[in-house]
Amino acid sequence: MSPRRVTRAQVALVLLLLVVLQFYIRPRLWNARVSPDFLLIGLMLFAMRSGAGAGALAGFIVGLIEDTLTPARFGAAALAHTVVGYLAAWGRALFFADNMLVNAGFVAVGLWLRDLIVLVASETDHRQLLTELTFYSPIQALTTAAFALVLLLTFRAVFSVRLDA
Amino acid sequence: MTFESDRRYTRRDTVLLLLCLTLSLAALFSPAAWGNDVAATLRGTVLSPLVWLQARAEEGRTSRVRFRVVTTERDSAAYLAQFLPSLRAENERLRQLLRLSHRLTASYVAAEVLHQPQATDSRTLLLSVGSRQGVAPFNPVVAPEGLIGVILSVSGTSSIAMSWAHPEFRVSAFTVGGNAFGVVAPSIEGRNNEGALEFRGVPYRDSVPLGTLVLSSGLGGVFPKGIPVGTVIGTVREEAGWERVYRLRPAANPGSAAHVLVLLGSRGGDLAPAFPSDSLLEVLRLDSIARGRRADSVAQAVKAATQAVRAATQAVKAARAARRDSLARTSPILGGTSTGQPAVQPEDSSQ
Repeated sequence: MSPRRVTRAQVALVLLLLVVLQFYIRPRLWNARVSPDFLLIGLMLFAMRSGAGAGALAGFIVGLIEDTLTPARFGAAALAHTVVGYLAAWGRALFFADNMLVNAGFVAVGLWLRDLIVLVASETDHRQLLTELTFYSPIQALTTAAFALVLLLTFRAVFSVRLDA
Repeated sequence: MTFESDRRYTRRDTVLLLLCLTLSLAALFSPAAWGNDVAATLRGTVLSPLVWLQARAEEGRTSRVRFRVVTTERDSAAYLAQFLPSLRAENERLRQLLRLSHRLTASYVAAEVLHQPQATDSRTLLLSVGSRQGVAPFNPVVAPEGLIGVILSVSGTSSIAMSWAHPEFRVSAFTVGGNAFGVVAPSIEGRNNEGALEFRGVPYRDSVPLGTLVLSSGLGGVFPKGIPVGTVIGTVREEAGWERVYRLRPAANPGSAAHVLVLLGSRGGDLAPAFPSDSLLEVLRLDSIARGRRADSVAQAVKAATQAVRAATQAVKAARAARRDSLARTSPILGGTSTGQPAVQPEDSSQ
């Protein structure tokens, strides 16, 4: 088995770990609304190391999962994650994507953008939209970015690989 | 690590993006029922492991909360259960005291016993009533079970009662059957540190059986007659063949009494009916049986006498009839034949 394939397997394991964290640890945290979104971290880290099409597809799948488990407005999360996944892959070409802080910043911006699209697509009223986007989403973006930074520091070697190379 | 800023976006990426966007928009603008069906199908099939995982996490989180709640409830219940027996006992004692107060003919005042943490607490009791409530020295103190003691000193709102456990306590007493009199005093030979009483000065000839109830006799003018003092549970000693000393199990326990009645005013009258103990009831029952037996014997005697009278009357009637028959047989006037002797000897009714 080639080293590249081993590294891809390691990335897949880390993504699987994030899925487990999302569905087994996150419900136990003190406040699910501001606790890290592990699925979005996985999506962003995957999309920033993949092609735009793969990022969009991964976003669509992640969004479909969230739509299925949170059936407030079916399709809203799929749309939001598709856009965020595509933009994450596309934005990698414009910024220094190898910098960990830039990665964490991408995650934070991606989460806030995801929330904006989901809230708008779900036809949320203005007051709640404002509260969510100015209070909860920034806090969750910070916690998610912080955890993404920890994850990148922990699995630095794993995430140095280019998945679309 | 290589930068991919020069990476070209292929048509495949665009197609994938458009495809995903189209599907997302289709899902977004499709009917809600359709979206719900798709979501339910996905939850039941592909995403079922994730749902199961999240359900376990939620269960674990709520289990912890429920465990805390159950633990808290259990602790609260255990805390309350600690006081339940004592509350029930206090409730029962108050009910008994209430019943006693209804039965008492003498005036009284209810008092709380303010127990102190000393070892000699049961010898003297601090009561919550004093001279303002009419309490005076030498007022008897009773509980529903029987005699507790006597008021020793009084202040305005409190008083000190000397219980029967005090070494100087004495009360004149008699057995419920009335066959033995004596003086009850605290036992000087504590058995297993138990508080006990002695029934002293009982004449040697007066044997008191075990289980006999001993009541206050009313002699001395301090304690009214008829307050249960204790029950005979054995013999302590015999003094040179002229006196027996009996051990009594006290009727009331000053150490556990929380509420008592202080009897006021006149000490005359018999209070025994206010304390219907088992022994007293037994004595009353035996008395009624004896009276019944006496009544039965009288009735039987009357019956026997009546039967004897009836038998005598019948015998007289038979003698008279026989005499008439014999006269008829010997008298020619009556168609009989004279034989010189009557056919039947008449019975002497006087015999």
